[in-house]
Amino acid sequence: MTTHDTIDEHQPFEERLHHALADEQLRTALGRFAPSWRASRQNVFAAEESDYGPDYSFASMRARLREAKDYAIEHQPEVLAQFKERAQAAGAIIYEAKTAGDANRYVYELCRRKGIDLVVKSKTMVSEEIELNAYLEERGIKAVETDLGEWVAQLNHERPSHMVMPIIHKTRQQVGGILTQAVGREISREDIAEQVAVIRVEHRKSFLNAGMGVSGANALIAEGGTVMLVTNEGNADLVTSLPPVHVVLAGYDKLIGTFAEAVTQMRLLVRSATAQPLTTYTTFITGPATPEREMHIVLVDNGRSEMRADPRFKDALRCIRCAACANICPPYQQVGGHVFGYIYSGAIGLVVTPFHHGLDADAGPQSLCVSCNACETVCPVEIPLPSLILDVRNRVVEAKKLPWIKKLIFGALARPRLFDLVARLASIGQLPVTWGGRYVRARNFGALSRLPIMSTLSKLASWRSLPAFASRPLRDRVKARGISYSHKNTENATQRDTTRVGKLNLTVCYFAGCMTDRLYPEMGEAVIRVLEAAGVRVIFPQRQNCCGLPALNSGDRRDGVAMAQQTVAALERALEESKADYILSASTSCVVTIVQDYIRLFEDLDYRGWLKRTRALAEKVIDFTNFMERVVLPSGVTLPLRTPEAGVVITYHDSCQSCNCLGLRSQARHIVQDLLKLELREMPQSDVCCGFGGSTSLEHPEVAERLLNNKLHNAESTGATVLVADNPGCLMHLRGGVDAGRRRLRVLHLAQLIAEYLE
Amino acid sequence: MSDLYPQFQQRLTAVGGECYRVANLEEAAAIIAAHDALAQKEIVIPPRFCELQPWGALLPLLSDQGIRIREAQSAASVADAPAGLSTALLAVAETGSVLLAENALEARIVGMLTLTHFVLVRAGDLVAMLDDMGARLPQLTQSGAQQRHYISLVTGPSRTADIERTLTVGVQGPKALCVLVVNDQKAEL
Repeated sequence: MTTHDTIDEHQPFEERLHHALADEQLRTALGRFAPSWRASRQNVFAAEESDYGPDYSFASMRARLREAKDYAIEHQPEVLAQFKERAQAAGAIIYEAKTAGDANRYVYELCRRKGIDLVVKSKTMVSEEIELNAYLEERGIKAVETDLGEWVAQLNHERPSHMVMPIIHKTRQQVGGILTQAVGREISREDIAEQVAVIRVEHRKSFLNAGMGVSGANALIAEGGTVMLVTNEGNADLVTSLPPVHVVLAGYDKLIGTFAEAVTQMRLLVRSATAQPLTTYTTFITGPATPEREMHIVLVDNGRSEMRADPRFKDALRCIRCAACANICPPYQQVGGHVFGYIYSGAIGLVVTPFHHGLDADAGPQSLCVSCNACETVCPVEIPLPSLILDVRNRVVEAKKLPWIKKLIFGALARPRLFDLVARLASIGQLPVTWGGRYVRARNFGALSRLPIMSTLSKLASWRSLPAFASRPLRDRVKARGISYSHKNTENATQRDTTRVGKLNLTVCYFAGCMTDRLYPEMGEAVIRVLEAAGVRVIFPQRQNCCGLPALNSGDRRDGVAMAQQTVAALERALEESKADYILSASTSCVVTIVQDYIRLFEDLDYRGWLKRTRALAEKVIDFTNFMERVVLPSGVTLPLRTPEAGVVITYHDSCQSCNCLGLRSQARHIVQDLLKLELREMPQSDVCCGFGGSTSLEHPEVAERLLNNKLHNAESTGATVLVADNPGCLMHLRGGVDAGRRRLRVLHLAQLIAEYLE
Repeated sequence: MSDLYPQFQQRLTAVGGECYRVANLEEAAAIIAAHDALAQKEIVIPPRFCELQPWGALLPLLSDQGIRIREAQSAASVADAPAGLSTALLAVAETGSVLLAENALEARIVGMLTLTHFVLVRAGDLVAMLDDMGARLPQLTQSGAQQRHYISLVTGPSRTADIERTLTVGVQGPKALCVLVVNDQKAEL
């Protein structure tokens, strides 16, 4: 009796993805939810800080909770011993289950011993993890979910698609249909209050007749031997009170030391999950309430020891299952939790799935992550989710190998001379499709589209025109400016410094990034013009190559490490010989790769020499926007700017690496409004990924296309004439979308915008 | 110490609860008796409510208003009773919450299964923040005859937003929560 719109997690990933992409309702519901959740979450944290001061800011509280959870993970044996001792003293029975099977067996045996055939359940993700319901039902025991959403999902034979809002993917009409079928009489398809009332009546019978109540635990508090539960509906109180036997299913990761720490967890959990200050019911249970009742606590390992033993993945044990990482995730909003994860959904799902359900279960879902880093900014326990997802991706790629197209691209990128040759040949070879223009457009393919390689290209370019290779890359163009710098021939740039005395007595070594160099040399020239107008001496080291980000983001460590080492070595040498004050890049993605990702990479590989060198180098690296805002403008240097013409309206896209990794927000806006005196109109969700992220646009073009269209729609809704950002990856994606969709926006790098107004 | 009641009232009403500050038990009885939930002139109370200090004295006052008082027994007998009455150990101004801590199932189900739940709390037991509540938990859960095995912090009536994120009140627990904050000195008289 499964309805047609059900996605079964046991289906292959591709099938689930296909299904989800066709589900208009899913996307509408998630698309409506995400912006309102973001706004409410922000307000509810801001209100708390304004009421109680900086100790109650999101940042302070999450630092405290992180510390508390880390302590509990680090000292698990002691914290566990205290919890067990207190809980047992209060009359609870504790069982430690090594595997999912052990836990299921324990619950089943308990039912059998006591002759229980009806179990009521309140929300427990662990029971989903171990698939308890199926286990019991195969053995003739009925398990009824009493959380409203979970019950509807159960009736429809599907899993919750979201940890906090299990049926966010369903409409009231669908819910009405499912309930009608379940209770055997017509239930309103429109009236939600009537639907909720049905659930109340139906569940009353189960509550009064059940022999066992199964709950999860939001925290296991060692100080009291106490189980903490957080709900809104009131079903957990009934599940844990009415049946004579109460079974708690909880992972070891739910241990926390003290009640005070549990209060901090409550504050963060509820605000992060539903943006409420507190849920309706917060329940603290310490042993069975009266002697004739039983309370069993089943502690589930199922891969958690393995996580705890892993120096990086043990961080994921801090998770309090708030689902903020799902709520903020751009691809999650396109495909939902049945696809973006496996039982555990959202970013944390991509991280923990290999430990609970094996790497295979994660192979598809992890490929959806766009590496936008938004999840890490909202995680209430600071789990480094994006980098852990990349670790998972590395493991998947090791096991499954890279798709051919990526192998080809990264293999070439990692070999500078080969790449140079390929790019130059491509700039000629592309002529039949570019017709000498700036784009590879699917609509221009004509008869060529019958070639097999062109059909792949057409799939990638139909919704987003691809950029053409520049006939003269930036590395050639800088030679004419006399700022080219090559180790073999040191006289050119360094010899000129006495003649280029600027108002700012600074030298920057410009790292363009491969996209600017090969695809958008005019972007790089704009950067140089702006810097030189400020009196900064610019040099362009010829040895620079791709920083390796595309490979690292795709789980291709071999090529990624090679490119990281090349880049560090080339920049180190350029810096040393030119005595530059900064290494500047106008690509925030490259900056983040160098100053954050390399360090993580070399730490992980235990390349101590490289780590030390990278750390030293990273101190000199700065992005264009920060350089303007922190170095150029405060120096008092005035750029020769002309007054803008009327009718130019700017809207600004916050690139993920800029806002989520470098914390940039106001800087570019300040430049647009106060320096250039241009009108800026904020677009809705300016800080949501444009869809280029990582390599998603290659692997999941349907997802990337949707994110891109949302972004362009939001940008156009402001009435702006120019869309500005400070990251070439986004700019490439946005320009391609504008071109393919024949939209009217101009898309510019911030440096290009400034350069346009230079006298 | 600043008066915590206005904040408590504001936060509780924000989550759909009702709230009154009364000078004494007479006023409390009058408000309860006149409430819509008492249309059938009956209220369910936990067993041995009459022994509670100072709350037991409320029962004769309710009887005087013509209210029948029924002690909770089985869950089935309490399920969907129009009105129930219990007492809270403390209330939290920050969130508009009340802390219930009863070991006996018959006492707990009054707050879980009735349709309108009235809760009495002393004004002096109003604390500012959740942290103050948290600070009481170690003592309440300590082993011994006084150990509270089952503690519920209740913040407004039961609710769900599972269907289309539309807020609906009264899912599994009470549809209405009415807290009466009783001024201490008069209550102790």
